[in-house]
Amino acid sequence: MSTSTPSLLTGFPRKNGKWGFRNYILILPLHNALNQLAEEVRVNHPAQSVITSVAHDWSGEIDSDWDRIHRVFSGFAVNPNVGATIVIGVGSATEEEIVEAARAKREMPIAYLTLRDSGGFDNLRQRLMESVSEVFPLVASIKRESAPWSAIVLGLECGGSDAYSGITANPALGVASDKFVELGGTSILAETMEILGAEHLLAARAKTPEVGQAIIDVVARYERSITYEGIDIRGAQPSRGNIEGGLTTLEEKSLGAAKKAGNAPFTGVLDYAYVPTEPGLYFMDTPGHDIEQLTGFAAADVNITVFTTGRGTPTGSAVIPTIKAATNTEMATALPDLIDLNAGTIADGTETLAEVGARIFNEIIEVANGKLTAAEKGGHREFNLSRLYGSTQ
Amino acid sequence: MITGYANNSRGVGVRSLQLILPSVVCSTHLSKKVAEEVGAITFSHQHGCGIIGPDVAGVNEFFVALAGHPNVQSTLVLGLGCETIQGNELTDSIAVKFPETRYVVIQESAGMTGALELSVEAARELHVDAPHAPLEHLVIGVEGNPAADLLDSFADLVAKAGHTLVISNDFKEPSRNFAKLVREKAHVIASFPDANQPPTGLPLIPVVTIANTQSPLHQALIDDFDCAIGTSAAQVLEKLLAVANGEASKAEAKKIGNIVVPRMVRSV
Repeated sequence: MSTSTPSLLTGFPRKNGKWGFRNYILILPLHNALNQLAEEVRVNHPAQSVITSVAHDWSGEIDSDWDRIHRVFSGFAVNPNVGATIVIGVGSATEEEIVEAARAKREMPIAYLTLRDSGGFDNLRQRLMESVSEVFPLVASIKRESAPWSAIVLGLECGGSDAYSGITANPALGVASDKFVELGGTSILAETMEILGAEHLLAARAKTPEVGQAIIDVVARYERSITYEGIDIRGAQPSRGNIEGGLTTLEEKSLGAAKKAGNAPFTGVLDYAYVPTEPGLYFMDTPGHDIEQLTGFAAADVNITVFTTGRGTPTGSAVIPTIKAATNTEMATALPDLIDLNAGTIADGTETLAEVGARIFNEIIEVANGKLTAAEKGGHREFNLSRLYGSTQ
Repeated sequence: MITGYANNSRGVGVRSLQLILPSVVCSTHLSKKVAEEVGAITFSHQHGCGIIGPDVAGVNEFFVALAGHPNVQSTLVLGLGCETIQGNELTDSIAVKFPETRYVVIQESAGMTGALELSVEAARELHVDAPHAPLEHLVIGVEGNPAADLLDSFADLVAKAGHTLVISNDFKEPSRNFAKLVREKAHVIASFPDANQPPTGLPLIPVVTIANTQSPLHQALIDDFDCAIGTSAAQVLEKLLAVANGEASKAEAKKIGNIVVPRMVRSV
């Protein structure tokens, strides 16, 4: 089915068989002292419209979260929406390890410039400007082509959920997700906290008993990692914003959140920032923290995301177009420049679930084909390193 | 004697900075736009939501400490609205001590365009031209691990001049050590980065960086440091006093470094 259905999709073909829906030059600093320099070059270079960059807190030291940090940086560097990456660092074996891992993951231009080799911040800025100019023609020469449905690696996200989430935007996104999975695409549900209490329902949809058990295990592992800290997660969630939005319990939030993944069977379970190996529906173990989730998606080759929201949120990713679907008409009307699509019409009674599902499906295709999202127009490039052990130990 | 700024009830600072304080990651982008527009300081961070346990109070207290630093003249808190750290409560806990505090929340401002307009207006209204004021006793932060003899003679000089010394060296990275110096209200910082760390500062406190001449990295970056080892304790202090009097340190001029918020527990 995936190969015989003509696709309306276009994308940028990558040598590893993946497809990008954007074609960025990514400037990736590996030390927080270089955040500002990365941004200065991004906004001052003539090619600024195709340059993206991130900022973060890491300063190059290996700690308990090294595996996770290493996986995120090396995976983020090679996201299919990136045509070329320029890593900037201080100049260390730790940084080299990340760059080598990225190069092993995908054949693409990955430059590595350092403070040490450049002899200072001013020279590094100059070299970075030159490096962007050098790689620009090569990236610009990659043209959009007709892409198969399997090109879609869809990230499912929700944030600032309310009582409408589980009956409007989430199930409508589920309709679109099911359709892409049926056509041969990939879709990833995440946010372990937000399936807590609904895991048995998802496990029942696993393709194999092993996958079902993995869903149960990942939730149990998550709860253990929180109780280890002496904290009752059910006391911390739903968040105050959720409660003000009308959600009563974590289980209620979870039942609604899980609806984003429709009714398709689960092909597999992924650890944080791991790349899916074949098409299908996956669950990824990520925090519910919106940006840690988005960053984990980006490092896992996700190339487009739909983010449902009840309260309204502006954030986006430096590399993944992130479509905001409002759960209610009131918020969609009140915060127009945050929202791409209103699913509140289901609760208004003016549209059916199937109709909104089709609208989300079409919006995903349009955005994949180049239409800018609200978050992209706003210049949002949030990026977070997800840590399991805090930053003070 | 240092000439600083009377930053209202925060005391006399060596700068008079307006702080745009995002209460959550979701408002950091807006904060950056506002700060650029009005010439204020801000920082990107990933906190304020999805936090639990000791981090809820810890992050909140750190934000309050930033807003209460003597180099700050006024604070504009920018929130999204639905986050764990509620911007209105954070604003109240700052404003109870420092009335020069305002709050703008994205979800109640008709979106980003509206929030940007309201924020720029609020920041301009908040801004004061703080009068100059004498600052007799500085709080000087030392970050990192200078050689024992240099630190000893530096401590002597600082004590004789009537200044206070605060040392922070729990971590290898300057950016993590700075947190303690923020809480201790250091006016200026002398940073002795680890041999593998570049010179770095933070937007709130001017940082004078001292290179370790044994470090090949520091040798390669020598032009980005204010001083090098071999510089006497007296010369380091002289540089700190010049920076306290208004001279921009290298890290300050090049805007190197961010404010890093300490975290105890994973995000949920």
